[in-house]
Amino acid sequence: MKAYIVKRFFESLLTVFFVVVAVFMLLRFMPTDGYFDRDDYTEMSEAARNAYLRTLGLTDNPLVQLGRFVVNLAQGDWGRSITVYPRTSISEILLEKIPYSLSFGLSAISISIVLGLLMGILMAQYKDGIVDGVGTAYVVLVRAIPSLIYLFLIQIWVTKLLGWPMLFNERNPVSWILPAISLALPNIAWYAIWLRRFMVDEENKDYIKFAVSKGVPRRTIMFKHVLRNAAVPLVQYLPSQILLTVGGSLIIESIYSIPGLGGLLVYAIRQQDNPLVQALVLIFSVLGIFGVFMGDVLMVLVDPRIKLGKAAKSGGHA
Amino acid sequence: MKYEVPVLDPAPVSTGSVLLEADNMEIQFNLRGRTLTAVRKASLQLRAGETLAIVGESGSGKSVFAKSFLGMLDRNGRISGGTALYRGVNLAALKTEQQWLAIRGRRIAMVFQDPMTALNPLKPVGEQIREAAALHRTMDKEASRLVALEMLERVGISEPERRYKQYPHEFSGGMRQRAVIATAIACGPEILVCDEPTTALDVTIQAQILELIKNLQRDMGMSVLFITHDLGVVAKMADRIAVMYAGQVVEEGMADEIFYDARHPYTWALLASLPQLGIKGEDLFAISGTPPSLFRTIKGDAFAPRNPLALKVDFEYEPPFFQVSPTHRAKTWLLDPRAPKVEMPETVKRLRQKLKDKKAEDIAASGTGKAKARKETSR
Repeated sequence: MKAYIVKRFFESLLTVFFVVVAVFMLLRFMPTDGYFDRDDYTEMSEAARNAYLRTLGLTDNPLVQLGRFVVNLAQGDWGRSITVYPRTSISEILLEKIPYSLSFGLSAISISIVLGLLMGILMAQYKDGIVDGVGTAYVVLVRAIPSLIYLFLIQIWVTKLLGWPMLFNERNPVSWILPAISLALPNIAWYAIWLRRFMVDEENKDYIKFAVSKGVPRRTIMFKHVLRNAAVPLVQYLPSQILLTVGGSLIIESIYSIPGLGGLLVYAIRQQDNPLVQALVLIFSVLGIFGVFMGDVLMVLVDPRIKLGKAAKSGGHA
Repeated sequence: MKYEVPVLDPAPVSTGSVLLEADNMEIQFNLRGRTLTAVRKASLQLRAGETLAIVGESGSGKSVFAKSFLGMLDRNGRISGGTALYRGVNLAALKTEQQWLAIRGRRIAMVFQDPMTALNPLKPVGEQIREAAALHRTMDKEASRLVALEMLERVGISEPERRYKQYPHEFSGGMRQRAVIATAIACGPEILVCDEPTTALDVTIQAQILELIKNLQRDMGMSVLFITHDLGVVAKMADRIAVMYAGQVVEEGMADEIFYDARHPYTWALLASLPQLGIKGEDLFAISGTPPSLFRTIKGDAFAPRNPLALKVDFEYEPPFFQVSPTHRAKTWLLDPRAPKVEMPETVKRLRQKLKDKKAEDIAASGTGKAKARKETSR
């Protein structure tokens, strides 16, 4: 297990490295006019433009640039934004934005886990009943309707109904509620439908019938056997989901004008803000890969049948 | 509505007297708006300390019948008629889970067919046995753990302390079935329903498991209701046999009476289907046709359409039971005094002879053989 974790760690590191290098190199193939404002570009002379590119270090060999990026990174220097927030240090940008995305993300995840799992349990318990029908309708609606539509409707109608502010305002605690709930809506559906499905699967298994036959009360079976076993496949996705909340949500952060990280990557790519793109890609790939890795390790902890690495070979039938 | 928790008659039932009496039981299932009658007015008696085998084809209702004694019918199934009397309580009238909890596990327990799926894959085996033990006896965790360990030992699992902590995937099929049996007997039930407990196991393990069930039955004084379609297993296990066809018990008798002196054409057909009775070079016997659809009401004798010996009356009226001996009865018009004399088929006569020869051999070899077998399983 320990050897496996070390191995996976280095593999993950390698993956991150490849992702970052690939993105880094691709950015260097972009036409250089993207680094200028349209006005700047036409006003500047050829020489002035080249001089500007040289100060950004973009005229060097891409490999030299890559080396510089890695060395700086090792010293904790993420570089400075070029076009999106000109000359602002990237660590400053991140430190300012991540807390918003993270706090909304984490509250949304907590809400969706609590409500989603509760809904899933109820749907499974009263399968084919009213609760199940309402739950299924909710899941279908959330999944089928483009999120922009219902998110807008929620923003407009609920704020009007309750007299809440339309936009996010840090100092008004009430304005935190709607974005967090909106962010949770699709995840609630996700948890509910998968938990329901896995619970119904488990419920029909022989070992549940056997547990019934030995006289275990239904409720105990539901929690000690069905829920426990149905939760296992969900556990794997938990770390990624939690970690990736850092990235924020493009739609929700823009409709409530939350100064989070959501959409920053798209914007940075469009503006050809190399250092910002590199930093974001690095962060997201590290979080994504680490999330999957954590998920796998977590699975080992909750499912005794899974053994990682060498142990798997020596285990088996007795 | 509030249902009373059943109060069982605590009086001891002496060996050989009736412990569970199912009378005219009818069990129906609702399948997509249609009603399927899986058990059609079936009756049977289970006596204290005996092994009663229910045999029949797939779909004959044997498993459903037995499951109804634990209230284990699927959600769309219900007992629509008849009674099942156990210690003064009519099991057929129990409705709520609360009522059934007084019966399940502690009074009537069940061993499932497939040990590979009957245990929770994510819980240590010992814990699953302990769960059963703790349910019905008021005891603390440590005490129930000790009971579970004792049960593991009892079913022939060595190193119980180590095995207790292992998960089902660390057990082989035979070991898992032992663990399933240990769970079933953890509360000391009076009746053990075994639903084809060896069908999913390979032949060498089968014999061990059968022997184990036999020994446990003897040691714990249980009654065993053994469901199977394997007549070889029946011959090894059963004191009495009930043959089921299309949701009815069609013949019932002591094991010897069924094997040597069967009266129902369906029983003959079943016996004739034993591959051991085939003659080299000849086709094996098979019952032609398929059982009737239980969605429809069956007129006359359900087996008549597949029965080459069927009488005209078989297609019109359902036969009653005819008593062959005090312990043997069969539901066929052939036993009516007005019926033409019909001989049992040659193959079945051959079986009779074979069994007689075998028995003589067994008696000659007994003592040494049995003692050896017991030693092997207890190891």
